Amino acid sequence: MCRFQSILTGICIISLLSGCAQVRPWERGYLARKEMAWEVDPLESLLNNHIFFSKEASSGGNSAAGGGCGCN
Amino acid sequence: MQTMHLLRIISAVIVFTISASALSVEEGELAPHFNLPSIYPDKPSISLQELAGKTVYIDFWASWCAPCLISLPLYNDMYHRYKDQGLEVLAISVDNPVEEGLEFLEDTPLDFLIPSDPEGETAELFQVIGMPTSYLISPDGEVKLVHMGFRNGDMDIIEAAVKEVLEGN
Repeated sequence: MCRFQSILTGICIISLLSGCAQVRPWERGYLARKEMAWEVDPLESLLNNHIFFSKEASSGGNSAAGGGCGCN
Repeated sequence: MQTMHLLRIISAVIVFTISASALSVEEGELAPHFNLPSIYPDKPSISLQELAGKTVYIDFWASWCAPCLISLPLYNDMYHRYKDQGLEVLAISVDNPVEEGLEFLEDTPLDFLIPSDPEGETAELFQVIGMPTSYLISPDGEVKLVHMGFRNGDMDIIEAAVKEVLEGN
């Protein structure tokens, strides 16, 4: 039983590892697409930011520079 | 014992993943050969082998990469300054779809060769480390400079390397 559990755990871990895909530098254009943004709707994003800033009593620091090209 | 065996397998997977990403083309190595279609449908394909004997500056770019778009017109000026001395510039577009690259070129016409590599096969061959990455290749096919990114002042470094290779011939 213990051996079966170890094998099963191993298979699960290896399956999870194989699910990690490395986005190559020349493929980062896909990440820069509008539909890849966390929030596609700019109005909804603005509202969520407003709520967050009101709750936290601070603003800024919620984004990073760069256009998805991985050159920064 | 079982755990040790499992750990060995996981370590092997991790080591394989890391080593696969560490095979980029470096200075002093020979540039890999490639043959790519031009981004312009009416122009012939472009092969590095056909440019043997010339100093070649290869740049990987994409329309979504802001520093690439700054560098390309500057490479065009450099190409005009040194083409009579045997400089050839290849700006390989990795745009997928290709039309996105063509859209940029409509507004910014460039006079050097522009191969298209939408599937990233040549980028994979060079193991490009970031965008943009450029390679200066001497007439005997040796990589003389690998330059990643494009910032203020980089053009001086690149041009100095180009001049050095051209003067060495």
